[in-house]
Amino acid sequence: MANLKELSKKGKTLASGHRACAGCTFPIILRQVLAAADTPLVCGSATGCMEVTTTIFPYTSWKTPFIHSAFENAAATISGVEAAYSSLTRQGKYDKEVKFITFGGDGGTYDIGLQSLSGAMERGHNMLYVCYNNEAYMNTGIQRSSATPKGAETTTTPIGKARQGKQQYKKDLTAIMVAHNIPYVAQAAPSHWNDLITKVQKALAVDGPAFINVLMPCRLGWSFQPQYGMQMARDAVNSCYWPLYEVENGVYKINSKPKEKLPIAEFLKKQTKFRHMFKPGNEDKLADLQAEVDRRWEALLKREAMG
Amino acid sequence: MKGNEALVRGAIAAECRAFFGYPITPQNEVPEYMSQYMPDAGGVFIQAESEVAAINMVYGAASAGIRAMTSSSSPGVSLKMEGLSYIAGAQLPCVVANVQRGGPGLGNIAPAQGDYFQAVKGGGHGDYRLLVLAPWSVQEMHDLTVLAFNLADKYRNPAMILSDAIIGQMLEAVELPDKVENCIPQKPWAANGAKGRGRNYITSLYIAPETLERINLDIQAKYRQARKHEVRYQEFMVDDADIVLVAYGCMARICRTAMKLSREKGCKVGLFRPISLFPFPSERLAELAAAGKRFMVVELSAGQMVEDVRLSVNGAAEVDFYGRLGGIVPSPVEIMEQVVR
Repeated sequence: MANLKELSKKGKTLASGHRACAGCTFPIILRQVLAAADTPLVCGSATGCMEVTTTIFPYTSWKTPFIHSAFENAAATISGVEAAYSSLTRQGKYDKEVKFITFGGDGGTYDIGLQSLSGAMERGHNMLYVCYNNEAYMNTGIQRSSATPKGAETTTTPIGKARQGKQQYKKDLTAIMVAHNIPYVAQAAPSHWNDLITKVQKALAVDGPAFINVLMPCRLGWSFQPQYGMQMARDAVNSCYWPLYEVENGVYKINSKPKEKLPIAEFLKKQTKFRHMFKPGNEDKLADLQAEVDRRWEALLKREAMG
Repeated sequence: MKGNEALVRGAIAAECRAFFGYPITPQNEVPEYMSQYMPDAGGVFIQAESEVAAINMVYGAASAGIRAMTSSSSPGVSLKMEGLSYIAGAQLPCVVANVQRGGPGLGNIAPAQGDYFQAVKGGGHGDYRLLVLAPWSVQEMHDLTVLAFNLADKYRNPAMILSDAIIGQMLEAVELPDKVENCIPQKPWAANGAKGRGRNYITSLYIAPETLERINLDIQAKYRQARKHEVRYQEFMVDDADIVLVAYGCMARICRTAMKLSREKGCKVGLFRPISLFPFPSERLAELAAAGKRFMVVELSAGQMVEDVRLSVNGAAEVDFYGRLGGIVPSPVEIMEQVVR
């Protein structure tokens, strides 16, 4: 369990002065992840908002060694770094304990980076991959990704007469990572900081690869007032739209079960990308999304009951 | 409208009915406008999961005989190179737009012309070329895209629009003709249903060296035809010029102003603008060299097109070079000072 007092003693893990939007929630996620580590870290990142806004050369917000190469290969790049560490350790040239974390947005993880992520997980590198998932390509101007929810308006899934927003449900990447049979997989949200930090500590403690999918409300792409980022994340969890759960060596555990499930409409109506869903005649679209959220939640409950 | 929108309008007018996109700055408006216009035109817009996927979707769509297209910017175009080599090998027509940005690597999102070699010399593996057109205005983003589709069909070869962040993002007035000239030939080679005819094979795999050599010679013969018929360029005040600036795309616009400034200083300067970068207007440059002109090539690169200019004049004229890198765009005065010096 993380303790706020102790965490505050760690100082700033990510330097201020980066160029993320006011109200952006990834710096909060990043600080929680970095604060969870007790050993020195080497971090990597795919191309995306996080990389672009925190590493404007010659400036950097990172206090750890940091590596970035391209969009599709964050997992491969950190695999190489981890392999170099293994090599140095085996040669007896280095004996300190170092952990490796790499970050990718949903575009760089669900879409173009899936191949390199899958490869790294299957090979079993000792690394943690954190997906900061804001459900679209925000850095390039809000284009749809396979993490974008059904119905959402993006710049490549516009609202028209024939079609309104994205036509497909979002991909369940966390389940795909579970199918890799790696030691640790989890979903988290920055609103539940204690849960997120505990998950990072567990992920770093396992011998082998780990994956954490963190929902990242994006004030630009989701279009909400900058002070509401954490509230958006909380609503996502409380509506069971974004369940917090972990899979440790194949065993499922749901970390937050809302006593009263928030209707999905309460979560969606605060985001302009769903405003068309609330127009007369679109009641079925809203009901469809609610049904899909319910279906996935029920399936998760059943899966947890199986152990 | 924006250059990137004009490109989309040109493609729709050219009866492109399948577009496969992926986000990358500074070409994002292309997939964004495509996602709006393509369904209205009765075509298909698909956002792929990567540039690699997008170019291979183009391979699939072009195989069926329809006009297909993808677009990207420098790093994303690098990812498309394998697919482009296969498309050229399988002799399929398609159009690829590259709205160039600074490189190498991640570079930046500022205008650059560092992809000339990649575009003009093939880029991927094997002996192939792209038919490369370089627009210098928003109007040409539209017009050359139509032409690119016609050339791709005519030569059954991928064509590239080599643009840049300035032309892609720039706003200019555009005349959209009611109807464009679409030369869409019959495509008896297409895999569009074999009823009543023999099977069509679309492949770039030829295990027997003799067969592969013959296919390669066929492809090279097409490029010889293109060199004969498809050279395009524009000249400004070249006749009395002592020095001819050679530039393409956004640099040609800046050089035109530099030319005027130089003339005000009493320097007889002209401008030669290649529109087709492959085939390159080598013969005309050789003529100008024979007429005693000196050349100064100006690029947003460390010097790429200058090599083709030097090959063209083959030692018959002096060829100077001025380039800026990293997304820095020289001013007309800066170029004028280079010329006058």
